[in-house]
Amino acid sequence: MAKSKGSSKKQQKRGIDFKKIKRKMGRKLPPPKNTTNTEIKSKAIVLPEQSVASEKAGLAVSKKGLTLKELLQHTSHHNAKVRKDALMGMKDLFLKYPEELKLHRYAVIEKLRERISDDDKTVRENLYQLLKSVIFPVIFYKQSKSCLLLDNQGPVISLMMAYIFNAMTHLAIDVRLMAFKFFDLAVQYHPPSFFSYAEKILQNYEDILWKNQFYLEDKGKLKNALAGLVRCLVLLPSSKEVNLLEKNVHEQKILHAFEPDVPIVSAEYSVIIKKLKDIVPVLVNCFQDFLPIVHDSLDAQSFDCMLSILRSIDLAKLLSVFPLCPTHRLSGKDDDRYVILNIAITEIFMHLSEWICPPADLFEKFLAFVEYVLLEKSCSYVRSGKTVREKQISTLIPFIPKLVSRVLGNWKHRLLLAFTKTFQDCSPESSVKLACLAAIEEMIISRKDLLCTDVSDSELFDYQITWIRELPTLLVLLGDKHPSSSQVVLHLLLRLGQHSLLYDEMQCLLKEFYSTYQDEGNICYGPFLRFARDSQELSICCLYYFSQLDSNLLKSIASCCLSHELDSFMLFRIIEVLHSAYKAGHIQISDQISFFITLVSRFKVFPENIFPATESNMKTSNRGTFKSLTNVVCSCLSQMGDNSIVFVILEKVILEQISLKPPLDNSCAMLRMLIALDTKPTRLSERSICSLSDVLSAYLIDVAHCVPEDGDEGAGSIHEQTRCYYLLPCFFLFDRSHKLLNLVLNVMGSSINGSSASLLSGYHIRYAKGNSSRINATVSVLLWMQRDAKVQQILYSFKEEIDHISRSICSLQSSEEINVSNKFITSVEGYGYCGYSISQSINRGELERLHNKVADNCEIRTQERRTALMVNEELP
Amino acid sequence: MEEEIVIASSSIDGGIGCWDLQTGTENLRYKSCASPPHGLTSVGRRFLASSQLQDAKAASGAILYWSWSRPQVEVKCFPEEPIKPLVANSEGTYLVGGGLSGNIYFWEVATGRLLKKWRAHYRAVTCLVFTDDDSLLVSGSEDGSVRVWPLLMIFDDHQMEQASQLYEHSFQEHTLRVTDIVTGYGGGNAIIISASEDRTCKVWSLSKGILLRNIVFPSIIDSITLDPGEHVFYAGGRDGKIHIGALSADSSSIKSHWLHIIGSLSSHSKTVTCLAYSTNGNVLLSGSEDGMIRVWDPKTHNMVRVFRHAKGPVSNIHVLKRPAYLNPRMLSNVQVSSRRHGLSLPPPLSKYINTMDEKVVGAVVNLQATCNNPLDASCTSSQVISCQIKELQQQGSAAAAEMEVEKLKLDSTQAMQMLQRWKKMYDNLHEFCVDELLEGDHVKSAN
Repeated sequence: MAKSKGSSKKQQKRGIDFKKIKRKMGRKLPPPKNTTNTEIKSKAIVLPEQSVASEKAGLAVSKKGLTLKELLQHTSHHNAKVRKDALMGMKDLFLKYPEELKLHRYAVIEKLRERISDDDKTVRENLYQLLKSVIFPVIFYKQSKSCLLLDNQGPVISLMMAYIFNAMTHLAIDVRLMAFKFFDLAVQYHPPSFFSYAEKILQNYEDILWKNQFYLEDKGKLKNALAGLVRCLVLLPSSKEVNLLEKNVHEQKILHAFEPDVPIVSAEYSVIIKKLKDIVPVLVNCFQDFLPIVHDSLDAQSFDCMLSILRSIDLAKLLSVFPLCPTHRLSGKDDDRYVILNIAITEIFMHLSEWICPPADLFEKFLAFVEYVLLEKSCSYVRSGKTVREKQISTLIPFIPKLVSRVLGNWKHRLLLAFTKTFQDCSPESSVKLACLAAIEEMIISRKDLLCTDVSDSELFDYQITWIRELPTLLVLLGDKHPSSSQVVLHLLLRLGQHSLLYDEMQCLLKEFYSTYQDEGNICYGPFLRFARDSQELSICCLYYFSQLDSNLLKSIASCCLSHELDSFMLFRIIEVLHSAYKAGHIQISDQISFFITLVSRFKVFPENIFPATESNMKTSNRGTFKSLTNVVCSCLSQMGDNSIVFVILEKVILEQISLKPPLDNSCAMLRMLIALDTKPTRLSERSICSLSDVLSAYLIDVAHCVPEDGDEGAGSIHEQTRCYYLLPCFFLFDRSHKLLNLVLNVMGSSINGSSASLLSGYHIRYAKGNSSRINATVSVLLWMQRDAKVQQILYSFKEEIDHISRSICSLQSSEEINVSNKFITSVEGYGYCGYSISQSINRGELERLHNKVADNCEIRTQERRTALMVNEELP
Repeated sequence: MEEEIVIASSSIDGGIGCWDLQTGTENLRYKSCASPPHGLTSVGRRFLASSQLQDAKAASGAILYWSWSRPQVEVKCFPEEPIKPLVANSEGTYLVGGGLSGNIYFWEVATGRLLKKWRAHYRAVTCLVFTDDDSLLVSGSEDGSVRVWPLLMIFDDHQMEQASQLYEHSFQEHTLRVTDIVTGYGGGNAIIISASEDRTCKVWSLSKGILLRNIVFPSIIDSITLDPGEHVFYAGGRDGKIHIGALSADSSSIKSHWLHIIGSLSSHSKTVTCLAYSTNGNVLLSGSEDGMIRVWDPKTHNMVRVFRHAKGPVSNIHVLKRPAYLNPRMLSNVQVSSRRHGLSLPPPLSKYINTMDEKVVGAVVNLQATCNNPLDASCTSSQVISCQIKELQQQGSAAAAEMEVEKLKLDSTQAMQMLQRWKKMYDNLHEFCVDELLEGDHVKSAN
């Protein structure tokens, strides 16, 4: 019911709200008012021609007006000529716009790699040229320069590598050979790439080499392929290098550090080496194929081929080719190439003989060849450039030690003879000499080390002596022009010394190395002085190992030490080493002492004048060095053994030297040497005290003259210090021997008198010439003496001598008009307590000041003296 | 903490001085000893042995023994040639001496037999050291080489024939005489430091056999000693200073002219001739050319104490734990007992290898591992021990009987355990069988 009701109501409504519109058939509905017009209208535009300039503006184009994109497309064109042109175009483009290449390098490589296995020869050739001359240099050079990440190069190579491998297994043999060429290029620019693909590559080489029917026709290409192989093999580090690598790692570590987890490089090589073993027989095969040609004519290409084969074999270091060697040698053609070939073969043979035991007759042939080469060198081989020959020989020499240790009887003798001849004949600076030296070291030292016994056959021993004798001469011949060679020689000498193989007779030869005396006093310095410090140190160390150092050699070393060119560090080092040698009993005591005295007495101190000591003087002066030299020598002397015996030896020589009037510094140093060994009651003999008194008085007067008294000096002034340095040794001597002081005072007194007795002492005086200066100096010496507490005590007991001096000064004054300044008279009077009147005054102000000073002193002195006298009187 | 004593000898005849490190009191002075550097050693702390300096022409050398209790020389030995360095292993079973000709001599202390003599260097041996585990012997020579000898190798005749050389490592880098060597801790893995007259000290690794560090000093170094932590080492130079070289210490912060040298202790006017380090007191001892022994505090670099030894240069200093002999309370006791025992020291060292008794089994004797009861322990050689063993085997003794009883007891307990186990298994089996039977009955009955 409800339904019906509802429907009726609806119907009603409809009738009101929606008026039914009736449509006629065949008529379309009018579009609604809100519709969008979806119609598209277009018109075609026809251009009669294209404007090249406008569209490609800003883009890089080749000569033919093609862009990079187009060129890349053309590279895969079916027409070979188009492909070739495209490659040429790219070359143009990249040469003009290197930036383009850098931006699109991946895209370019991706496209180009497809062409590696191109069927057309010219295309491949062009591609090779393009890569070699343009693309690779730009990619690899730029990157390393601009410090981009290095591994950016990796992807470029790996992109190519897949296609190279593909080409290597191509059906056409040309393509294959070319692929090796490409690979060579890649390795050349990016060496690590070899290691990542080593196994595959070696496999490929093996395959290609098996197909030996191509060799004879296509030598050029084979050569290329082999060159690539050689390049790869060169990259393989020898075991030595691997060890070196590990060493470096260790050095950089700190002590007690944990072991770093570095992957061990050497492990990686094991795979490669296994592969290499496979390839060797193939190479040998290939080499045999070449032999027929060799016998007919040796043209350049096959020669190159063989050489590279040999090199690859050598680098692989495994094989057995040697049966071929003699045929080469006997072919008799006097051609360099043969010799080179033979040397290469011998080299390989030598490497191999360590692993395998070759039959004896074969071995002998090789020995004959080695001997022939060594001897021939010295005979006549002018034609082949000398440097080339030397290079070849120096490759052979390293095998000599091993050969010598293996062969027996006659051959050993012949080999050693040949070797010795080579060693003696080659020029000092050549590489052959260096190789010889290394061989000698190995033969003498390393072998001995291994056996660790003193069993050595006499024959080898004879040769050893010959070699060792040669060394000093070689050292002199080398001079200072070839420091590295000299260092090698020195090192060998040191090693020999350590094994007690240096002969004392060598010293006279070695003398020339340091310095030699020409006729009259001229010293000719050897190369030693001009060496670098480490070489100098090495040569000094060698000296330690002579069982008895010659006095002549010591003399020439001493003259080196005295040279101003020698660094002061080296000077002390020499003394140190020689002292050690002395302690070890390698130098006689008299030689050692005379060495020291020579140093001290002949050392030239400059400037000779002690004053004025200006700043600039201090810098250039070597007085400081000399002072420390004196110290070092003194401490060495005190360690030499029984002091009293050393003193006896020293005493005589020093007195001799010191009476020769050496400069002040040297005298002072010698006196210091004396007191370093002397004891409190002196060890000096009566006679030497007498002679020393003359010398000492002169020395003191000279010191007083050279170190003038400064007006107002403090206790720590430079003058004071200097004076102390020079006077102290004298004061020590006075303290130890009162008699000496007595004698010295006597001499001073008589010298003032100018009496004939003092002629001798006058002779000793070096600087203070003339009476007045001498008297001045004498007085100041007396003054200084009384300032020193110890000497002053001693002076009291020599009143008479002092009186005598003052009296003589005064008498001199009255007799002659000498310009003796009053201050000294005053002081002497004050001191001597004599009571002479002051006669003259030149500088009154100074005089008065000094007078006061002295007077003050005097009062104290008098009192002290009185007490001292009283004590003295009481004592007996 | 055990008390420590210092022993020192001089290269001129000044005897062997002996001081208490803590109190500074001087003990006995052992007479007539003029030893070269590295020529003094205490053999297992039982007695002192020292090689003697001799005239260059002397045909044979001299090694003297002193017992702790008497100042006189007790045993004199005359080896084949003058011996310079002398060292004993830590137990004191072997003495090793280095000859002027470069030979090394190896003696057994208890019997005095020369066990081995081999050519070690081309020139005189200057110093010898054992590593702390006594397995390796390190020798330095006048020819500048330092060599490491494994004792295992030296006494293995078979291997000796096979190997081309005896040494494990031979370090050749020094150009002049090697003056001193010290070894670090860690036996075969330790580091060693060698000093030479070429003014350098070099640090080597024993395990790898490589040079770890080269330190150049301003003067010749005559003696070195290690800090216990191996942080630094001390090097006494001819310039009278004790230089401090860095090992694992950081030396980069110190702006020094000399690489790896951290600082120096100095007050010596004369050459420092020898050094020693006391771990107990943590002090450094240095002997000098003027005959004084100075004791330093390494931290503050101050001198703590001075011992006066002799007029001549001090050539050796050793710091030892106080041996019981020297105990003042026991001293009288010792004298009595030593008189009772007669000569307590082993026989002198023989001059040559005696080929006759090569058949005798190499003696491996551990002499008095504990030094606390040294008076009762006596030196016994392998023969004596093997005799005793034989005796034991034949006759049996109380100890053997005891061991037997012990063993039987163990057997019985094991048997008891076994019995228990069997019993348990039997029970289990029984139970199982019963269960099985019962169950079978059940099943039957159910059917």
